[in-house]
Amino acid sequence: MSEDFKDNKTIQAQSSETISGGGSGVSPDIDHVRPAEVEEQDLYHGHSFITKWIFCQDAKVIGVQYFLLATFTGIIGLILSWLMRLQLGFPGAASFMTAEHYYQFVTMHGMIMVVYFLTALFLGGFGNYLIPLMVGARDMVFPYLNMVSFWMFFIAVGVLLASFFVPGGPTGAGWTLYPPQTILEGTPGSGMGILLMCLSLILFVAGFTMGGLNYLITVLQARTRGMTLMRMPLTVWGIFTATVLAMLAFPALLVGALMMSLDKILGTSFFMPTILKAGEVLEYGGGSPILFQHLFWFFGHPEVYIVALPAFGIISDLISVHSRKNIFGYRMMVWAIVGIGGLSFFVWAHHMYVSGMNPWFGFFFATTTLIIAVPTAMKVYNWILTLWRGNIRMNTVMLWCLGFIVTFVNGGITGIFLGNVTVDVPLSDTYFVIAHFHMVMGIAPLMVIMGAVYHWFPLVAGRFLDEKLGKWHFWATFLGAYSIYFPMHYLGFIGVPRRYFEMYDSPYVASATGMNEFISLAAFLVGAAQFILIFNIIKTLKTGKPAGSNPWKACSLEWLTPTVPPEHGNWGDRLPVVHRWAYDYSVPGAKEDFITQTTPPSEVVNTGVEKT
Amino acid sequence: MSDPKIEGYVFKPGFKGMAQDTGSDQTMFKGVHWGKAMMWIFLLSDTFIFSCFLISYMKGRGSTLVEWPNPSEVFALDAFGVPVPLLLIAIMTFVLITSSGTMALAVKYGYEKNRKMCGWLILATAIGGLTFVGMQAFEWSKLIHEGVRPWENPFGAKQFGSFFFMITGFHGTHVSIGVIFLFIYAYKTFAGHYDERKRGWFTTMKGDYVEIEILGLYWHFVDLVWVFIFAFFYLW
Amino acid sequence: MEETKKQEQTTTHKIGIYLWIWGLLFVLSFFSYMVDWYQFQGLLRWSLILLFMFLKAGLIMAFFMHLFWERYALVNVLLWPMTAIACFIFLMVSEFKYTVFTRLFYFVVGGA
Repeated sequence: MSEDFKDNKTIQAQSSETISGGGSGVSPDIDHVRPAEVEEQDLYHGHSFITKWIFCQDAKVIGVQYFLLATFTGIIGLILSWLMRLQLGFPGAASFMTAEHYYQFVTMHGMIMVVYFLTALFLGGFGNYLIPLMVGARDMVFPYLNMVSFWMFFIAVGVLLASFFVPGGPTGAGWTLYPPQTILEGTPGSGMGILLMCLSLILFVAGFTMGGLNYLITVLQARTRGMTLMRMPLTVWGIFTATVLAMLAFPALLVGALMMSLDKILGTSFFMPTILKAGEVLEYGGGSPILFQHLFWFFGHPEVYIVALPAFGIISDLISVHSRKNIFGYRMMVWAIVGIGGLSFFVWAHHMYVSGMNPWFGFFFATTTLIIAVPTAMKVYNWILTLWRGNIRMNTVMLWCLGFIVTFVNGGITGIFLGNVTVDVPLSDTYFVIAHFHMVMGIAPLMVIMGAVYHWFPLVAGRFLDEKLGKWHFWATFLGAYSIYFPMHYLGFIGVPRRYFEMYDSPYVASATGMNEFISLAAFLVGAAQFILIFNIIKTLKTGKPAGSNPWKACSLEWLTPTVPPEHGNWGDRLPVVHRWAYDYSVPGAKEDFITQTTPPSEVVNTGVEKT
Repeated sequence: MSDPKIEGYVFKPGFKGMAQDTGSDQTMFKGVHWGKAMMWIFLLSDTFIFSCFLISYMKGRGSTLVEWPNPSEVFALDAFGVPVPLLLIAIMTFVLITSSGTMALAVKYGYEKNRKMCGWLILATAIGGLTFVGMQAFEWSKLIHEGVRPWENPFGAKQFGSFFFMITGFHGTHVSIGVIFLFIYAYKTFAGHYDERKRGWFTTMKGDYVEIEILGLYWHFVDLVWVFIFAFFYLW
Repeated sequence: MEETKKQEQTTTHKIGIYLWIWGLLFVLSFFSYMVDWYQFQGLLRWSLILLFMFLKAGLIMAFFMHLFWERYALVNVLLWPMTAIACFIFLMVSEFKYTVFTRLFYFVVGGA
C-alpha cells in the first residue's frame, strides 16, 4: 500500500510553514491520484420512452422501478397484516375471514415483507440508485443485465400475486413453508398456491443473482480514481456485504424451492417421510422434513442480515450527516459489517431449537448466535458515540435514525433471549418471537427506509419532503409500532401461541383479549400513517421546496453530481477524483463544517483532516 | 492470467499483494475484466447451489433406512455380453474432460488472436458437450426402462431416483446451456466479432477475446461439478 | 485507449502445460474408476475417492481456470466462502446420523 499511496498519506494535518517551505506554495503532487486503470464505460443511452423509462438500462431508473414495485408489494403485505389483526383483535368481525384465509394471509404477509419488500427495496432500490453514485461510477457495470434483473423481479411478483387467484388460493403454510404440511391436502393452497410460491421464489433468486453480480462487480471493479474500499460510505459497505450474503444464501432457497416443487409435482420424497393419512399410507416415504428446515434457514438467517446490513450502513451515513460528525470508528464499523456477514452463515439452526434436530446443535448455534451479538452491539455503541456531542439537526431524518436505534436495541436484546436454547424453548412459537423479529427486522429496517427516503428524496426528485408531515409520520409510526409490539412481549410471556387463528376457549382469552384489541387498533393506525408518506411525496413533487445541489451539506459523492437529479452517466464529462473518506464533518480549521470527498488535499492543508 | 501492467502501480506477490490490491483504489482484482470477475462470482454462487444439492443428497441418502442401490451395478453396461461397471459413466467423464482440455486450448489461442484455431477448438468443445448430453439422455432412458423413476425405484430407496434425476438433470441443464453458448461463440469467433470488437446482439457491449475465457470458466466449472458428481454419486 | 492496448498483451502459457494437466486428469479419472473396478471398500475407498476428486478439482481450477496464476485477492475471495459449505457438510453428517438414530429408536426398536 505504502509506495502507491505515498502522496495520499501526506494529507496529514500539517502547518502551512512545513508545506510551503521555501515560499513556493503547496507542492503540486500532493493532489496526485493514480491514473484510471480501465477505459471509460461505454453506455447505451435510451432514445425512446420505452428505452428511457421502461426497459431502461440506467441504474438510477432501475432503482426507482425496484423501489416502486417493492413498495407496491409492501402495501399489499400491509393490507394483509390489517386483515390478520382484524381477525385477532375482533374475531368474527369480518365474515370472510376463515381460518384458511388467515393462514394464507400470514404466509403471504411474511414472504412479501421479507423477500419482495425489504430485500428488493434495500438491494434493488437503494443499491441500484446509490452504489454507482457513491463509488463514482457512471452506471452499474452490466446495465443490460441490471435491466433484466428488474424485469425478472417484476415477473416474480406477478407470479406471487397470481397465486391469490388460482384454485385453492395462495399457500398457507407459514412463510417458512415447512414440509410435509406445506404440500399435503388440508393446508390451504397446497396445490397451485405452493407451486406458484416456489416458482416465484426461483424467479426472484434468478433475477436477484443478475442484479447482485452487478452490485458486487461495480463495488469491486468500477470505483473511481482514489476511491479505496476503506473510503466508501458505509451505505455501500452494508449493501455490498448484504449482496455477498444474498449471492451465497439464495442458492439454498433455490434448491429448497426446487425440491419442494418436485415433491409436489412428481411425487418425489425429498422432504416427505412416510405419512399416514386417515389410516391410509401415502405414496411418500423415507424423506427428511428437517432437511428443508436446514436449507431454508441456511438461506433464512443470512436473509435477516441481507435486510439488516444495508439498514446498518444507511443509518450510519444518515446519523453522521445529520449530527455533523464523522462516524465513530469507521474501520470498526466496516469490520463489524463484514464480521456479521461472515458469521451469519454459522448461526442458522438457532431458528430450529425445537425442530427435533440433533440436540447437540443447540450448543454450537447458541454460542455462535451470542458471538454475532458482539459486532452488532459494537455498531450500536458507535452510532451513539457518533451522536455524542454532535451538532445534531433534529429533523425528520434524525428522528427516524433515533427511532431505529431504540427499536433495534429493543429487538436485539430479545434476540439474545431467544438465542439461548433454554430460554428459547418455552418462548418458541409465542408472540414473544413475533415481537422480537418485527422489532429487529420489521420496524427497525422500516425506520431506516423512511429515514433514507426523507434523506435522499432531494437527490432523486430535487425537492425536500415536507418536514411537518414527516414528523407526524414519524411519531405516528414510532409510538404506534411500540403500541403494537411492546404488548406482544407480554403476550408471549404468558404463553399465547403465534399463528393461531383464534384463542377459542383457552385460558388466554381472558388475559389477552383486551390487549389484542388494543394491538389491532394500533396496527390500523400505524398502517394508515404510512400513507402520509405517499401523500407527502405526491404533494412534494408538485409544490415542494427545491433542494438545489447538496442540500444536506454532505461529503459523499452522490451529492456532488453536476446536475441534480443526476443524469444518465452521472458525472457529466469527467469522473470525480476522490481524495478522502466520506466523513470529513466539522474538521477543525476547515472553512465549512464539511469537506467533500473530491476536495483535493491542497485546499485543506491547514485543517486537521484524518488520514484515510 | 499473469500480472498486467498498470501505470503507477507496483505489484507485490502473495498475501502482501492481496492486502495491497484490496486496499487500493479503483479495482480490487487488478487487471481482471469486469465480465470475468462477474463469471467468477456467479460460479461461486453456483457452487453453493450444487453444494446444497449434494449436501441434500448426502442427508437424504444417509438418513433413509431402506437400502441404497449399489451404483456400481445400477450403472453397469453390457460390453460384449460382460457387464462392465460404470462403463458409460467412464466414457462420459472421458468426453467431458476432453472437451475441457479443448476449451482450455481455445482460450489460449483466443488470447493469441489465432481466430481459426480458437474457433475450431470451441466447436470441438461444443461437440464434446453435445456428446455428453446425448450419453446422459441414453443413460436416463436406460434407467427409465429399468423402472427407475423420480418417485420410486425397483432397487431400493425411493430417494435414489429422485436425487439422481434432479442432480444429473441440473448438471445436464448447465451442460446444455454451455453447449448453446459454445455454438454461438464459435460462430462469433469465426465471423471475427472479437477481432473487430463488434457489439453484442443484446448487451451492446464491445466484443473481446476475454469473452472466450469467461465462457471457458463456465465450461470448466461444469466439468468441475461433474468431478464431484462422479465421486459422490457413482463411486460412493 | 492506450490503457486497453497494454492489457491486450496478456501473456499466454505454453501449450505443454495444458497438455500435461489434460493427461493428468485422464490418469486421475482412470484411477478413480479403478477404485470402483477393484471394489475397494470402507475407509480406503472413501479416502481414495476424495483424494482423486480433490486432485482433479484442484488441477482444473488451478490450471484450466487459471486460478494458479491469478492474484491472491481473487483466489481468497473465491475459496473462503467454502468454509460455510464445509460447516454445512460437517453438521449435516451428524444430522443424518441423528436422524437414523431416531428412526431406528422409535420405529424399529419401538421407543424407550
